[in-house]
Amino acid sequence: MLEPNHSLKLRKTLDEKARMNFVSGIRAHVLNDMASGMRAVWDGEVEPRFRRKRRRGAKTGPEVHNAIKSNEYFKFYSSLRVTAQDLVWQSVFPPLDRERDQLKAEALALRKNKNIGSLTLDPKLEVPRYVSAIDVHLMAGNYDGEYDTDDVAAGALYDNGFAVFSFGLMGRNHDDIGQSIAGFIRRKYPHLKPKKILDLGCTIGHNTGSWKDHFPAAEVHGIDVAAPCLRYAHARAQVQNRAVHFQQMNAEHLDFPDASFDVVFSSMFLHELPKKSIGKVLAEAYRVLKPGGLMLHMELPPNSQLSPYDAFYLDWDSAYNNEPFYKPFRDMKPQQVCKDAGFDPKKFVQHVVPSVGWYGEQVLAEAATHQQDVDSDKTGRLADGVRWYCFGAFK
Amino acid sequence: MSAKKKSAPKAKTASSTRKPLRRTIRGGRPMFFDDPAIDKVFNMVVTLGSEVWTLRERLAAMEAAQIARGGLKQGQLDAFEFNAEQIAALDAARKEFIGNLFRILEEQVDVARQRARKA
Ligand SMILES: C[S@@+](CC[C@H](N)C(=O)[O-])C[C@H]1O[C@@H](n2cnc3c(N)ncnc32)[C@H](O)[C@@H]1O
Repeated sequence: MLEPNHSLKLRKTLDEKARMNFVSGIRAHVLNDMASGMRAVWDGEVEPRFRRKRRRGAKTGPEVHNAIKSNEYFKFYSSLRVTAQDLVWQSVFPPLDRERDQLKAEALALRKNKNIGSLTLDPKLEVPRYVSAIDVHLMAGNYDGEYDTDDVAAGALYDNGFAVFSFGLMGRNHDDIGQSIAGFIRRKYPHLKPKKILDLGCTIGHNTGSWKDHFPAAEVHGIDVAAPCLRYAHARAQVQNRAVHFQQMNAEHLDFPDASFDVVFSSMFLHELPKKSIGKVLAEAYRVLKPGGLMLHMELPPNSQLSPYDAFYLDWDSAYNNEPFYKPFRDMKPQQVCKDAGFDPKKFVQHVVPSVGWYGEQVLAEAATHQQDVDSDKTGRLADGVRWYCFGAFK
Repeated sequence: MSAKKKSAPKAKTASSTRKPLRRTIRGGRPMFFDDPAIDKVFNMVVTLGSEVWTLRERLAAMEAAQIARGGLKQGQLDAFEFNAEQIAALDAARKEFIGNLFRILEEQVDVARQRARKA
């Protein structure tokens, strides 16, 4: 496990660290070793049986899912993955309970004494039901759970849990997505030179800060509905000396004027929204973008562009990880979604971006000149050799 | 079956020369889950828990004994940080441990791989 690299990280006892390392190791085992085992079971056992019975191969992700779900290997893969997902968060609670008052005090002190960037909360904001009513990916309390005034616990749970969850693939700052995508965009679209950048559903701002790193002259904003995450995000950005403006807002109706941003970005955000909300969010992105500006969403790749097996593999979360909107989102066609929000289909873009942490700067730079195929078992899969998918459009 | 007694290592106590008492249960046991395998795995989990706890108590005894001898200070172990080399060794050992733990599942994968190769 790579621990967070900043001073707000929780201090853990030897036992707590060992436990986190173990859970991280189980995650790596399931998502690397067992993932390839399951593929072998599909190819050598389940698929041939499917072919004999149906006289053809599987055509869709759900067909693969139906055929494989009674298989013992799939059951062990799934059960172990659910258990590990649960233990990710459970491994953080003991040190979090011990330190959360102190963390809250540190966040308050930073805001008072250091005050880089800004934090604007809206206590009247109504948190949408799709956030307030479930614990997404088995994270008890979800993003918005508050136990206290000025609470930052949900943010700290996410940050420290993410270290366990990502088994090193997101880097010490958990910003591999942000660093890869922002670094890619800087090289791919050198004319863009954004002055104002917005990150939607920024959570603890781990991927928001990357935009500040790659475009230091830009004014960078991050919005989210979850106050405890935003408080933590601001504190985290401050200890890292990144000036980012965090605001509590609903991405479905932003509080920014028309044509005010050069880049509107999000990562791993849209798949947690119901379909209707996705439409509203994209329409809002269109509204707040300047002409010539870029909307870009880093997301899971769409089912329509993956093989049936890879589609099934990525939809696992929807069925088993408290991600009800994940599959419906992945069934949408990105180009159509952008068009419906007002973007010109000719200005649609999509990219596959190699993880900079895994492949290095050189490969990232090369990717900016060679369009990569979406259809691959590396695209959007948190496993060794991951490549991130993103889509969007210029206005 | 041979009636000939095997020569056992020399007993330290009287009881160890005797055959262990039977520990399995006759007449079946109640099962609660749809698949009896689940009840069995649950039994394994709790058994594993009891072994882990035994380890914890033994380690606590070791730490307390070290503190009593002056070899360790209170809290020193909790603050212990492994160096990079030790971390790398532990990472590799943990990976192997986890692989072994779930080794039985890989038998199915081996068979599937062989079949795919033949096809
Ligand atoms: C999976 S997290 C995004 C993580 C982060 N962007 C990253 O790159 O890892 C989804 C976030 O979206 C926020 N969210 C959900 N619905 C929202 C909405 N309508 N407006 C703004 N934020 C929202 C949640 O509170 C949560 O913090």
